[in-house]
Amino acid sequence: MTSDSKNTALNEEAMLLNQRAQTRKKMLNIGQYVLAILVTLVMFFPLYWMLITSVKSQQEVLRSLPTFWPREWHFENYANVFKRANFSKYYYNTTVMTVGILFSQVITGVLAGYGFSKGIFKGKNFLFVIVLGALMIPLQVTFIPLYIMFADWKLTDTFLGLILPLAVSPYYIFMMRQAFFSVDDSYVEAAKIDGMGRLGIITQVLVPMTKSTLITITLVTFTDGWNSYFWPKIIAKNEVRRVLTVGLVHLRNTFAGLDTMNNHEIMAGAVMAVLPVIILFFIFQKYMLTGYEKTAMK
Amino acid sequence: MKPLLSRKSSKKVGDFATVLPALLFLGVFVYYPVVQVVRISFTNWNLINDSYKYVGLKNWIWLFEGSGTKYLLNSLKVTFLYTLGELFVTIIGGMILAVIFNKLAKSFSIMRALVFLPKYIAMSSAAVVFLWILNTDNGILNYFIMKMGGTKVNWLGDKNRALLSILMLTGWRTIGYGMMIYLAAMRGISTNYYEAASIDGASKWTQFTRITLPLLSPTTLFLFVTTFISAMKVFQSVDVLTSGGPYRSTEVIVYMIYKYAMEDFRMDRASTVAVFFFIILLIITATTMKISNRSVNYDV
Repeated sequence: MTSDSKNTALNEEAMLLNQRAQTRKKMLNIGQYVLAILVTLVMFFPLYWMLITSVKSQQEVLRSLPTFWPREWHFENYANVFKRANFSKYYYNTTVMTVGILFSQVITGVLAGYGFSKGIFKGKNFLFVIVLGALMIPLQVTFIPLYIMFADWKLTDTFLGLILPLAVSPYYIFMMRQAFFSVDDSYVEAAKIDGMGRLGIITQVLVPMTKSTLITITLVTFTDGWNSYFWPKIIAKNEVRRVLTVGLVHLRNTFAGLDTMNNHEIMAGAVMAVLPVIILFFIFQKYMLTGYEKTAMK
Repeated sequence: MKPLLSRKSSKKVGDFATVLPALLFLGVFVYYPVVQVVRISFTNWNLINDSYKYVGLKNWIWLFEGSGTKYLLNSLKVTFLYTLGELFVTIIGGMILAVIFNKLAKSFSIMRALVFLPKYIAMSSAAVVFLWILNTDNGILNYFIMKMGGTKVNWLGDKNRALLSILMLTGWRTIGYGMMIYLAAMRGISTNYYEAASIDGASKWTQFTRITLPLLSPTTLFLFVTTFISAMKVFQSVDVLTSGGPYRSTEVIVYMIYKYAMEDFRMDRASTVAVFFFIILLIITATTMKISNRSVNYDV
């Protein structure tokens, strides 16, 4: 009986404490949500401003009092970009370059990922160190000899020139090796007993079992390729093989002298340049959000 | 007849063949150019003359004891300042955002995605957007500043402010990345620690400094190393926003290399700076690796 009443007293006290803690927690929570919304607004603003500017008229863009919602919608800005610059050409060039990089990185990456995880050959570890070592050698250091080499080979302003230096990714190989390591050897052994060849094992056993990693890294490869700037700027300076990222900046220069007069069109160009990646981002959000996390965890 | 290769060794050859294409590529397009860039730094190679000859240490003397020295020192200073800025934004900013966005209801995950989205926006697109936002006369940022009683700021044309403007752009792209990495790591911390700490009466702040921060140290180190290296290589944002100007106040080291090579066609000088830059990168990588083996809390 006494122990019971003692318990109730304790319980009441605990409840009171609990209540107070909860109101405090709630306040903290609200504060957290408000902050989160503010941060999101600030972070999203540049993209919003890009979108909004891209549909304004030139007059409205040049007003000293900015408008936060377009008074009139001028979707023809988008069409004008194609007229002013060779934007469809840039699109085409970027697409071919990206697809080329993607294909060769996936094929070489999956193959080498297999070799360095499940393969047996002499010097495997040493050769893998060579692959990893390449991660420490950036294009910013090697681009001079590469440029000279490619000029000798007549590869400036060509797709091959755009693709080759980015055709193999040590990062891709590393990630695929990690992923294939996670697949138990018994699956590979079983497939071998079934008479499956090396390519069969890779495409029908290993790849399906590591699909999510593969999709994630491939998406990163796609974005990196689509967004690449440094090498394309060096190797494809001329109109024929100019890519979007480089062409966009030229769109600005095209109106030199009237530099800032056509920001509505530049923004339309910027929207079109990033659209494919943004679409991918929202379709594959699950993978895109973890893409970089995966690298961090390894 | 005996087969040319026994079954076992043909298997080995087959396995080796899977890594061969990658190795050949890396050999031709990564390792060979490294050797070449070192070689060119000892020549007088430029794209204007047809031939070149070896000139010994001439370029190196130019870089360390000649007319190149002041530009090198300037670039090193700018690059270092920039790197500090990006590290600050990614690590401190990313951490703060992670704390704000941690444990929000699921329906708010779209906000997290929006904060992370800039990482995927091509730098050149982002850069033209920031050119427009930072525009002195019509830019929206100056409009806000004037609304709040300030005066117009010349963001990109002022040599004391241009680097800061570049950091706004790169910071916008990288802060969400820092946040995502920290959020993932925070999810990995067991709630038991926090429960035990609150039973002991530890405040939220104590919990953060005594539990969260130490357990996040591997993540912080990861961000530090990767951001350090990538910030040292900054080029695009500088190229689009300021082209290294005004008065070389944003001429980071890669931009210096690029300018000598692609504008002045001085492959010899560009290569010399590139080799020096490469050595710096290697030293940083080696040092950070050493630190990471020593001072990080891995007991989770």
